[in-house]
Amino acid sequence: MRRSRRCVSSGYGFLVGLALAGVASLTTAIGPGGSCCQAAEPNAADEKFTPPPLAELDAQAGWIDQPVVDTLAALRKQQAGEKPRATIAAALAMKNKSRPDNEKIAGALGRVATDDAQIDYEANINRHIRRDVKSTNPIMMSATEEFDIAGLTGLSFFGFDWRLEPLATAETVVSWQTSKDRLMDKLVIRKDLTWSDGRPITAHDVEFSYHTIMNDKVPVPAVRSGTDKLKAVHAYDDQTVVFFHKEALATNVWNINFPVIAKHIYENSLADDYTMQESKYHVRYENDPVCGGPYTITKRVRRQEIVLTRRESYYLHEGKQVRDKPYFREIRFRILEDGNIALLAMKNGEIDEMILTAEQWVTQTGDDDYYRLNTKISGLEWTYFGFNWNQKTAYFSDVRVRKAMAHAFDYREMLDKMFYGLYEQSNGMFHKGAWMAPKKPPAFYKQDLDKAEELLDAAGWDDHDGDGIRDKKIDGKLVKFEFSLLCPSIPERIKLCALLKENLAQIGIICNVRQLESTVMNDRLLKHEFQAAFGGWGTGTDPDTSDNIWATGEGRNFGYYSNPKVDDLYKQGRLEFDRKKRGEIYGRIHELIYEDQPYTFLYFRDAFYGFNKKLRGINFTPRGPYHYGPGFNSIYKVK
Amino acid sequence: MVRAATSTSGSVDAPPPVPETAHHSRGFWAEAWRQFRRRKLAMAAFCSVWFLVVVALLAPAIAGTKPIVCRYKGELYFPALAYFNESWENPIFFNDKFRKIYPKNLKKKDPESWAVWPLFYQDPFRRIKEGEWEGQPENPSGDQGAPNKYNLFGTNQQGIDVFAQMVHGTTIALLVGFVSMGIASLIGITFGAVAGYLGGWADMVLSRITEVVMCVPTLILILALLAIVEKTTIWHIMAVIGCTGWTSIARLARAEFLKLRDSDFVIAARALGVGWPRIIFRHVLPNALAPVLVPITFGIASAILTESSLSFLGFGAPPPNPSWGTLLNSGRDNMHLWWLIVFPGAAIFLAVLAYNLIGEGLQEATDPRLRDPGR
Repeated sequence: MRRSRRCVSSGYGFLVGLALAGVASLTTAIGPGGSCCQAAEPNAADEKFTPPPLAELDAQAGWIDQPVVDTLAALRKQQAGEKPRATIAAALAMKNKSRPDNEKIAGALGRVATDDAQIDYEANINRHIRRDVKSTNPIMMSATEEFDIAGLTGLSFFGFDWRLEPLATAETVVSWQTSKDRLMDKLVIRKDLTWSDGRPITAHDVEFSYHTIMNDKVPVPAVRSGTDKLKAVHAYDDQTVVFFHKEALATNVWNINFPVIAKHIYENSLADDYTMQESKYHVRYENDPVCGGPYTITKRVRRQEIVLTRRESYYLHEGKQVRDKPYFREIRFRILEDGNIALLAMKNGEIDEMILTAEQWVTQTGDDDYYRLNTKISGLEWTYFGFNWNQKTAYFSDVRVRKAMAHAFDYREMLDKMFYGLYEQSNGMFHKGAWMAPKKPPAFYKQDLDKAEELLDAAGWDDHDGDGIRDKKIDGKLVKFEFSLLCPSIPERIKLCALLKENLAQIGIICNVRQLESTVMNDRLLKHEFQAAFGGWGTGTDPDTSDNIWATGEGRNFGYYSNPKVDDLYKQGRLEFDRKKRGEIYGRIHELIYEDQPYTFLYFRDAFYGFNKKLRGINFTPRGPYHYGPGFNSIYKVK
Repeated sequence: MVRAATSTSGSVDAPPPVPETAHHSRGFWAEAWRQFRRRKLAMAAFCSVWFLVVVALLAPAIAGTKPIVCRYKGELYFPALAYFNESWENPIFFNDKFRKIYPKNLKKKDPESWAVWPLFYQDPFRRIKEGEWEGQPENPSGDQGAPNKYNLFGTNQQGIDVFAQMVHGTTIALLVGFVSMGIASLIGITFGAVAGYLGGWADMVLSRITEVVMCVPTLILILALLAIVEKTTIWHIMAVIGCTGWTSIARLARAEFLKLRDSDFVIAARALGVGWPRIIFRHVLPNALAPVLVPITFGIASAILTESSLSFLGFGAPPPNPSWGTLLNSGRDNMHLWWLIVFPGAAIFLAVLAYNLIGEGLQEATDPRLRDPGR
């Protein structure tokens, strides 16, 4: 699993393309060529750098052992000490109508398998995704669905557990050590790893993947960010690889976590086709990739389905079982764009899990028809939404105007009427339960039109020409307060934007809601060609991942937000290793940003999932039920 | 002008001794109207279209939250007109911080004021809240909005009244039909007339252009347009539907002109030295119009459908628009909310049916072969 921050899309968010979510997730970098991550620099550094011999390193480094964990076993161990609040039979018989209900169901169905006899190893699972993937190559991943697939087919040496603590996975790693000065990480991988074509997985694959990701010519959409903080990666033998860092950063534990591809497949073909998916040879491996993870892709029908099959050579090595057998024989990702059709498929048992909208959760999944085969669970998810103001426009450059926007919006209408009281208001980017959130969270904004009007008047946006619309003299010309608000074409979000339009009309501002197809919107945001936009962000595993949204000049800082204090604090946060002190730094960033209101922060969206009643071992983290360790690997079907 | 060229009712050059009782033969259009009126279904459809026109014109008076007329601080105002054009709302209400809520503020800020209110205090753009209108509860939201005394057709998930949205959506439905087909007939008739009358290379070029336009899928063109234009309005959509929907009109007009250009009255006009544009528009066109009207009527129906499907897909008029298709779309999110599907669905169906019936009636009324079977 990779750290990271995705743009929330759950079908189409801000950057629709960026959503993370497979077992992994990504940081910034968007657009072909990963334009926002200074790629040239690390390459240059790499060329000059000659890795010292291993013996020399071992003598000087003063290696400190880092955790190598079998996350499934760890979770099983933790659960052994807990007592579920309800039996499975009771949980399956009840309907999820309140928070206590939800806790009972989640607790009972969250129990991981303790005995092989419980598990139906011949079971298939049908998962729901909303869009097709652009690529099956893990280094090309960028959208949620691509992380979903790559998380199961890809090879991972690092990950994080349900507390979002970084670790190396025992399934693939022998040892992981960090040098005393924190400038190096040494990884020894297991000998019994093979690619799906039978060739051994070696440390050279790791080194090759690093060079490929950092190769300017390869259009890596997302995974280059973070990886670009490394100075070099060098394989000393088939099992040992050392990561060299440019600086001793708290985020280095995340930067060494990048997807690994097979060197023997791409080594010679890369120079012919840097896109990795256009040449005949690459198309072959795009459709039938060589996988390092527990599943391989066995069928792919564009816009319909992607079928993954359990890989025997993953858990068996030379005839002996060396790893846990993956719980499903086959995973079928069904691509259903329309949420209603997906819900119907769910009720008919054609899919086993899906994300439910607030409306579906409250009004369409309470009947016996739904509960015949399914149940539902909600979990905390640190995903927040807001209106992003472009500060290079005449309207939103003034913080008073942005505050007026925050005062103008009717939060109660949104929370109670549009979201059925399921979502909570957001007062900044970090959820109050997170360690990086400020200890004293800032007060929520409330709708106060008088205050909004005062602020607008003070900022010079008064009705000078008496036509009932606010305006301001800029360079001798009277500019009307009329802007357009970009919004992805999702009914729920359009209605939210329409609510803002109504609210602003009450105080003499014209807001034109523009619904855009998600890729067009993504493009406009990246080029900063917008006045205001609606969107949201998921959480990264580390708060530092938000730096590319808020720091001056960063790739996903669409609205040109800039506060030197925030930039400084991000730098401090990376250099600080004490979690408590780091928490204080990010808490301060949170407060500063909330004070500046580059976004009008609206709400946190929790996770709402429907599951087939046969599924067990489902646990929720702030990053949802799949994208952590063990995540999807702990989920199984009963016989 | 030789009106009766295609008419069948009697001869124009009747013998001179006219008896006093003999009536003038009716003109072509009068005869067509007489025939049209005989067809009950077509007449019913015709009336229902007029009914829609009335609803559209009176929409702010039927459902709205702004007074139709009010006296405030000694002056008369018509705030309801703001539903047609936002800038028609008098700035005094902005300056006095009404914030679009009239009932309470009128009384509070000027106890002497009076107002005439719409029939239903409901808004097509927002939810009515508690206490806004005395004695009327707040609009239910979520799946609680089944039709009731205050919300005749129920409310959508956000608590916005469906009846108000439908009444105000009538304007869009009608406008889309008339404006887009207005544009289409203008282009289509001009192209067809010129191609048919001039013939030769002009016909060749114009017919090929027509064929090229026929190949352009309207829906995709509109989607492309939405991505380019900064502030799309319903007018852009009408323009696109109009600019792509004229081909069948052009083809029919061309056929009519081909038929008529060698008739006696045209030759006579030409002999008198009349210029071709004048012959086309003054002499031939009135005689060629009847068959062309039919595809126009059908075109109106299909334009309404196009707009509804666009809105249904979420690419219609910019939000918040009270279009019928948009309502259907919100019904799609939750099939249990039958009132979000039945009412707008029925409205679209009936409007399209009405136009089709009118088209059919028109066809029968103007085409002698259909009109008088057996003769």
